[in-house]
Amino acid sequence: MEAARADPAVLDRLRERIRTLQAAPRQLLSVLRTGLAPVDALLPGGGFPLGQVVELWGEAASGRTRLAFRAVAEAHRALRLAAWVDGPGTLYPPALPPLGVRLDQLLVVRAPEPKQLCWSALQLLRSGAFAVVGLDLTHTRVRLSPPESRRLVEAATRSGGLLLLLTPAEAPADGTLRLQVAAEGSAGFRLEVVRSRQGAMARSVEVPWEQLTAGSPSDAGRGRTPIDAPPNPGPASLPMRRVKACDLRNGVIGVYGQRPGRDLPLPPFAPVLGVSP
Amino acid sequence: MSPRLAYVHLPRFPVQRRVLEEPALSGRPLALVHEERQALRVVFASAAAQSAGIRTGMTLSAARALLPALHDVRYDLRAEQQALSSLAEGLLRFAPAFMPSAPDGLWLDASAASLFGGEAGLARRLMDQARSAGFRARVVLASQLFTARALARYGSEACTAVEEGSAAAGLAILPLQALEEAPEVVASLRALGLTTLGELAALAPAQLIARLGAAGLRAQRLARGEDDARLLPAVLPEVVEEVRTLEAPVESLEPLLFALKGLLDRVASRLRGRQQAAVRLNLTLMVDPAGPHPVPLALARPTTDPKLLLDLVRNRLESVRLDGPVATLVLTVEAACPDHGQQGVLGDGPSGDAALETVLARLTTALGPEALGSPVLADDHRPEAAHAPGPFQPPRRESGLLAEVERGSLRQQSVPDWQLERPVRLLPGTGTPLEVEVGQGGELRSARVLNQRRTVLAVAGPERLGGQWWSETPFQRDYYRVHFEGLGPTWVYRNALDGRFYLHGLFD
Repeated sequence: MEAARADPAVLDRLRERIRTLQAAPRQLLSVLRTGLAPVDALLPGGGFPLGQVVELWGEAASGRTRLAFRAVAEAHRALRLAAWVDGPGTLYPPALPPLGVRLDQLLVVRAPEPKQLCWSALQLLRSGAFAVVGLDLTHTRVRLSPPESRRLVEAATRSGGLLLLLTPAEAPADGTLRLQVAAEGSAGFRLEVVRSRQGAMARSVEVPWEQLTAGSPSDAGRGRTPIDAPPNPGPASLPMRRVKACDLRNGVIGVYGQRPGRDLPLPPFAPVLGVSP
Repeated sequence: MSPRLAYVHLPRFPVQRRVLEEPALSGRPLALVHEERQALRVVFASAAAQSAGIRTGMTLSAARALLPALHDVRYDLRAEQQALSSLAEGLLRFAPAFMPSAPDGLWLDASAASLFGGEAGLARRLMDQARSAGFRARVVLASQLFTARALARYGSEACTAVEEGSAAAGLAILPLQALEEAPEVVASLRALGLTTLGELAALAPAQLIARLGAAGLRAQRLARGEDDARLLPAVLPEVVEEVRTLEAPVESLEPLLFALKGLLDRVASRLRGRQQAAVRLNLTLMVDPAGPHPVPLALARPTTDPKLLLDLVRNRLESVRLDGPVATLVLTVEAACPDHGQQGVLGDGPSGDAALETVLARLTTALGPEALGSPVLADDHRPEAAHAPGPFQPPRRESGLLAEVERGSLRQQSVPDWQLERPVRLLPGTGTPLEVEVGQGGELRSARVLNQRRTVLAVAGPERLGGQWWSETPFQRDYYRVHFEGLGPTWVYRNALDGRFYLHGLFD
């Protein structure tokens, strides 16, 4: 206290800081950014707009799921909850923490009947308890009817939540903002605004794969590197070989006779395969 | 020192209960009647009926002669006892045990009064609790069962505590009717010209024994505050169940929900008294004449919030079609768990929690409890076993300065390296076998993926995952990240057990 009296500037700074914190309104979100600069620059508003239905439409393995979960991570960073209606039942949670997703704040719904997918998303949206709701309709053969689409749009608008609608390439839905996602080889993926009420129509951007998951390695330029195969007459140092289950059980398997496990150091491949690591 | 007791007197409890169930009866003359000596006689009468001269024991025809507009309802002692026990269970939050005193009161063990600000605080809490359940109550704390009850029923103060040793002084001004257990003694004493318990207490015991025998002495001991009866705690029923028989069968939702609200309030109060929360409920609608129609209610998270339960029931009933009107409602708690309190989970106020709870409960009821949850990572090297569904229990959200701290901690979240190499979609089981084309040099050239032959553009890997060699299901796989034409990265592995390639995931 004596020290604070001696330095009124410290007290002033602290007072100002407390005033700022107390006066700060509840954090308002208007968009959920993906954190990918080219994607956010492409999207009208600088991210996925809340209160709308954003459709990510494209082929399998085109990066749309990771793109969607980057928005979920943004919601989690703002201390909001997210829900994911997993239509095909293929969501793999271990891949989500690297994207910034907090698994304890993610509700995953796996409806037993395909016709319950849309209903579940509608209930989650209407509750207003979730900042973002994902509805994954890929590999489900579910087509949203126009009334269903309309109800989803209305629910998103009223609740102020974001509905991320993942649709297969052969069955686009009726999203307010439709983004087409397509893989562009091993380099990255392409994102194009197909439908938008806020402009940016027909604009597109290419994003390298490694940017989707921060810290993941790049595969660009790797080519069709040889991998071990039974007819492969290549160097004997390649580790894969056909083994019997009993050998595995008895622990006599491994690249160099050691027991298997993920912690096993892999042998150096780069010199053998002729690629840079 | 004698154990302290509290008596909660609920004046004309059956009448209050009836009015609570049917608010239209409020203020109207009402009599509860039962058959006795081949005539319907009044057991309880409302204040409006009493002001018209209707008294307990009067025949219904005599009462009707006094007041033609009298509304009469059959008195069911068993139902009243159950309702009283239900109310008492709700008071177990403040007392470790209770003993009903049918039909309109109950004793409670007041030994935990210090937890509620002393005896005065406990008395206030008990009155508030009864009031929140819709009942008027009078509460007296004393050291004897008789003293507490007599003062609560015949005393002038609605809420008081009689200190140990001063019971006789408190009882002295009460009328002789307070000796409800000994009506013959009361009649004899009245014949002798006595009117109060104080006059009875002042009599010489020897004269009293000579005139009235042991019953007289017992009555005098009670009047002197020397009751040595002990509280016998009631045994709680194993199953929490509430039944409501409707006055007339109903067909529409609103009156049904009104009746259900009372049921849910009582069930929630009982559960809170037991320090339990409902996990699974079953509502049975007795449809006339089709019979019982069960409506199971599965909750996403244990709760005792009657508002939330009512909202859930409302949503559930909106989709139920019945063959006829509903005559009776039976609500049963099929599963309950210890209640550790409700955690705040969302938003800045309880409305956010309620919205979340409601939608979770609705989805659980419609889809089943296993259909929703929050994923939990499992310590397993086998990719398909590396996660498991867990309950969705988002952490309590902090506000203000603590929220800033929480946001800061989120940024520090780190993940192990191997998670960077995991696909966001994993195909069911151990994946789909691939028809692959391998070149002379051992390179993977193409494969049939997603119903189409696709050329391989790039391959990265392998990552070797193996284990369980000590079990019957060992695994040894080399995982590659393979870029096929027209697709993004995929997760392909070669199984060491059969040498085949499998598509296991998509880096979607």
